[in-house]
Amino acid sequence: MRSSAADHARPTLWDGAVVLLLLLAAGAVLLFALPRESGPLTAVVVLDGREVARYALDDVEAPTVIEVPGAPYPISLELQPGRIRVAHSDCPSQDCVRTGWASRAGAQIVCLPNRLVVSLSGGGAPAYDAVSG
Amino acid sequence: MTRSVRALTRCAVLTALALAISVAEGLVPLSILVPLPGLRLGLANLVTVFALCRLSGREALGILAARCLLGALVGGNLSALAYSLTGGLLALGTMWLLLHVPALSLFGVCIAGAAAHNTGQILAASVVLGSPAVALYLPPLLLASIVTGAVTGAASILLVHRVRDVPGA
Repeated sequence: MRSSAADHARPTLWDGAVVLLLLLAAGAVLLFALPRESGPLTAVVVLDGREVARYALDDVEAPTVIEVPGAPYPISLELQPGRIRVAHSDCPSQDCVRTGWASRAGAQIVCLPNRLVVSLSGGGAPAYDAVSG
Repeated sequence: MTRSVRALTRCAVLTALALAISVAEGLVPLSILVPLPGLRLGLANLVTVFALCRLSGREALGILAARCLLGALVGGNLSALAYSLTGGLLALGTMWLLLHVPALSLFGVCIAGAAAHNTGQILAASVVLGSPAVALYLPPLLLASIVTGAVTGAASILLVHRVRDVPGA
């Protein structure tokens, strides 16, 4: 019966260390997981771990509906200038449809039953207009 | 009653409790914020940590496995088993380890357990999707686990201190 940690009735200093460690870990993951802000706004569609499509959302002129090939539950994406969403999906959970529009770098639309991830990158202004010296 | 029947009964009662908590927290619409079906707040860790403190690691493992399996069957979503099992196992291992650290209270143990639970779920999701992109949901989940872990920790301190004699232990 291990109860050494259970003997305390109040939080200890080391509990605060655990919380601090978690905050640092959250910050570290955020730093590593955020995609780059540079380049044209691109939506990458990954199905079952493989990239199946890549759309430059800035080049889209008219609203387009595209069916994702090979998805277990039929799913279609709607592309508009600068944004993308799941137009329709036959998946049971419908989380992907409810996510709505994605238009900024780092935004994601996830359809777990389909094993589909649409992630956006780019679209931000370059950090520097010019570098001299 | 013989000792083994007592042990079985108390494990069954705890499993039912964990299942009830798991189903109740499943009503929270977490999928508005994080579009991963089957994602849980991890409040059922309360039963896990109580079992680790007052029973044995093996019984805690059995309760966890039974709760995850039954939860997936009851919810009608067998694919959610992957997330709850990985999350639950990682939480069990982390809490079991940290219970050996006398400098921590159950607050720290449960907060770390909640964080491990969420990390396990994200790991399972990234394996299923074949993409590490869902790691982006981890920071807000880790922050939430500080809160849920504190809640679970407070409840578990009360529980562990009040229920000292588990019948048949």
